[in-house]
Amino acid sequence: MSAGDGLTLDWEPVIGLEIHVQLDTATKLFCGDAVVHAGAPNTVVCPVCLGLPGALPSLNERAVELGVRAAALLACELRHVSRFVRKSYFYPDLPKGYQITQLDAPLAVNGSVILSGTGDAVGIARVHLEEDAGKLLHDRVPGRTAIDLNRCGIPLLEIVTDPDMNSAADAVALARQLRQLLRYGGISDCDMELGSLRVDANVSIRAAGSNDRTSSRTEIKNLNSFSQLERAIDAEVVRQIACVAAGTPVASQTLSWDAVAHTLRVLRTKEQREEYRYFDEPDLPPLVLTPELVTRALMDLPESPVERASRFVTLGLPDSSARALAATRTLADYFEAVVAHGATPRGASAWVLTHALAWCNTHGCGISAYPLAPSMLADVIARAEQGTLTRDGARLVVHALESDASAGTDPAVTMEVTVDGIIERLGVAEHPDESAISDHIDRMLADEHALVARYRAGEANLFGYLMGRLMKEAGAGADPRSASERLRERLNNTEER
Amino acid sequence: MSARLARLAARVASGEITAEKRIRGTFDRLMTGESGPDRVNAFISFDYDTTVAQAKRVDADPSLRTGVLAGVPIAVKDNICTIDSPTTCAARIMANYRSPYDATVVRRLRAAGAVIMGKTNMDEFALGSSTEHSAFGATRNPRNLEHVPGGSSGGSAAAVAAGFAEASLGTETSGSVRQPASFCGVVGVRPTYGRVSRYGVIAFASTLDQVGPMAQNVEDAALMLQVIAGPDAYDATTVDMEVPDFCAHIGDGLSGLVVGIPREYQPEGMDPAVARSFAEAIGVMRARGATIRDVSLPHTDLALPTYHAIASTELSSNLARFDGVRFGARVDAATPSGMQALTRGRGFGAETKRRILMGTYILSHDPALLAGAARGRALVTQDFLDVFAAGIDVLFTPTTHAPAFKLGAQLEPYEMYMSDVLTVSAALAGIPAISIPIGASHGLPIGGQFMAAKWAEPLMFRAAAGLESALL
Repeated sequence: MSAGDGLTLDWEPVIGLEIHVQLDTATKLFCGDAVVHAGAPNTVVCPVCLGLPGALPSLNERAVELGVRAAALLACELRHVSRFVRKSYFYPDLPKGYQITQLDAPLAVNGSVILSGTGDAVGIARVHLEEDAGKLLHDRVPGRTAIDLNRCGIPLLEIVTDPDMNSAADAVALARQLRQLLRYGGISDCDMELGSLRVDANVSIRAAGSNDRTSSRTEIKNLNSFSQLERAIDAEVVRQIACVAAGTPVASQTLSWDAVAHTLRVLRTKEQREEYRYFDEPDLPPLVLTPELVTRALMDLPESPVERASRFVTLGLPDSSARALAATRTLADYFEAVVAHGATPRGASAWVLTHALAWCNTHGCGISAYPLAPSMLADVIARAEQGTLTRDGARLVVHALESDASAGTDPAVTMEVTVDGIIERLGVAEHPDESAISDHIDRMLADEHALVARYRAGEANLFGYLMGRLMKEAGAGADPRSASERLRERLNNTEER
Repeated sequence: MSARLARLAARVASGEITAEKRIRGTFDRLMTGESGPDRVNAFISFDYDTTVAQAKRVDADPSLRTGVLAGVPIAVKDNICTIDSPTTCAARIMANYRSPYDATVVRRLRAAGAVIMGKTNMDEFALGSSTEHSAFGATRNPRNLEHVPGGSSGGSAAAVAAGFAEASLGTETSGSVRQPASFCGVVGVRPTYGRVSRYGVIAFASTLDQVGPMAQNVEDAALMLQVIAGPDAYDATTVDMEVPDFCAHIGDGLSGLVVGIPREYQPEGMDPAVARSFAEAIGVMRARGATIRDVSLPHTDLALPTYHAIASTELSSNLARFDGVRFGARVDAATPSGMQALTRGRGFGAETKRRILMGTYILSHDPALLAGAARGRALVTQDFLDVFAAGIDVLFTPTTHAPAFKLGAQLEPYEMYMSDVLTVSAALAGIPAISIPIGASHGLPIGGQFMAAKWAEPLMFRAAAGLESALL
């Protein structure tokens, strides 16, 4: 490894990614069958996606719209006219003997994504539409291979980056960022385990700092998680450097990553590269993007996570909170809904990022499953901010609402009753009773007269301790803010000295 | 003679005769004609119960009983999918195939009250001009059983000529409706590309294929087209425009029409009888008030090579789905690719394999040929645009250079391809064309062809009906 370490100083990886995502449409790309990820084999099929004789494709416009949205989020130029082609090869899971895809005239080109970690731009060469194939099942029928064609015709978007990344870490960062963007845009659920996000990596090496583009590259397929993507690229870079060090040029190959053995296996060499006999799909006219379609596609296009985080900063949130809230679209939507129902941005941010997320983490689910409706959380936050509920009291109320909801009641339906009812039940209502807190302050000042004297003599840092004593005396029902104001008033009252 | 279909349908609608009775009568004729050593062999499959069940449905349903084709017996080429009978393309690989759905054109025929008599013979996968290249034996020409009916829609033409059906559906790629119509002495129509849905029609060459009606006269053919035409959400290449009334001007006559006679359409080796009938037809049209003009379509000689590059390319891709995995006859092997290779090797006929090889060769080794073919196609199309823009209403030519040849004439593939030479240009340009009988030689019919601008079928039908009635 030491020789390799020495050499890594002289070589840098050049990495590009090819990413396939299944589009989140109700129906398939060229027929009316539902898109489902479960279901008994070969139950969600029709003459079109089975490639039966006589069947013809008709394009699902929603898939085009989602492609246009993705292109916009990736800052691509839309092609006013794009074309479909047939990519031909024989394989039992490919019913027609060809895949309908796009080649010379893709849906969009020339985009970019700024890596949020480094600020470097990664070019997006192209974005195009194509159909998914079926699946071979080797474990269903002993000694035979079965075929499930449910996946046939599910719309895919292929995103091809430029070879702009120089480390496996950058490649993973880009893939993560793309996933975030595509989820944000409602374009795909990007679930790598279910195969709705698939990543292939193209890897080559060049002399560090050079702009050499001549070295041959390999393509790594079958990368089923981000950690495998990173491992496989690292392994391939090490292998290529070792090749060059040994004086054997890197062969242009397609490799498969074995996620169990952590090794790369050669799928095929350049000489064996398949010949796809591309030609224009004669059953589909050129895809013309009408202004109406583009408008419809972009109508409810959300801000990108970066844009949204910076807008949250303008609401007065610290950078870290803004980024955390903007990380997923559903979380950001929830936060904004809480604010829309009257909570201050800072209050909403604090409650969402601590309580709501803690609950979600405990229950292993997303914010959309959080039992408190935004209006309800906003209500609790507002009471806390107005002082009719202490911070601790509010926390107790939220916990009670969460567990009521988890127990099966639906607090959103009877919000006022429930919030009020729970406050009543817990007895945490704060009645701004001046005399009650005054009594507590009187007692505390008397008990701690020595410290009070030192404070009044100038030891201002004792305030915290005295405040703590007061709250202990007053109990959870006291509002810390008004108590602290009253205490400071009394301590600074020169007449009492 | 004209408007037989409309009269037949009206008799069923009025209750004068039930669809069932009418269909039983036609079916008896079919059974007789398709039995014994002198059988025509127009059909690959027909089934009494299936046919009578359809007729009973028509009688039981008022909306079908009053349809424009109520109780009309129709034959359908066996590359058009039907849910209640086999669909084989005359190919071994499809011998037992049953489609789980009806083609759009079949759906529309049924909705108009028509009854499908059976599925007609053809050249395997529509590759041929004689209906001899069928896994189910050759079809014979009802006008003279020693001769071929033409092809590839030979069974559909023969069925109408023999009276086994009042009308039929064929399919065209380069003339497969017009040429057999001409050989069998019936009317055959190639509609404008995009006028009729191809959904459920087993594809040969997607940019050229069209379904076309065949009938005993022009008006019946026009009515058939009326029923099957119009946009279809299941075929993205149909054009979303309103279908005109094809019969509105069908009786307006020849007077005032400008008929172009392309000088490139008189190939060497034209049969003298064809030349004579053609010249007579021109004389008749002139006498009925048509203006006859000599015109030129200068790129006509590009049409045939252009067609073969495009058609074999598309064919090789369209037939890739016949791999034994999901349907059709399978020949088992140790590996999936072995199974696919054996299935295709044994399931396809020689002509099919020849053309798949041509197409595959072009796509893998000579894709530049396709760019050349696209240019050829554009030039051929431009020729037509030019003459129609210059005031020509319709073009008139012979449909074929000779009447039906003898069965087993063993034409060389190249010779067989040459029989498309007068019909192929209209296919490349996507324009409508029609063949009608214009004469006969030794009992064998001779056909004449009208071509019109895209979407100008009404004008085409008017000219064809005008000549048809003038020749009576």
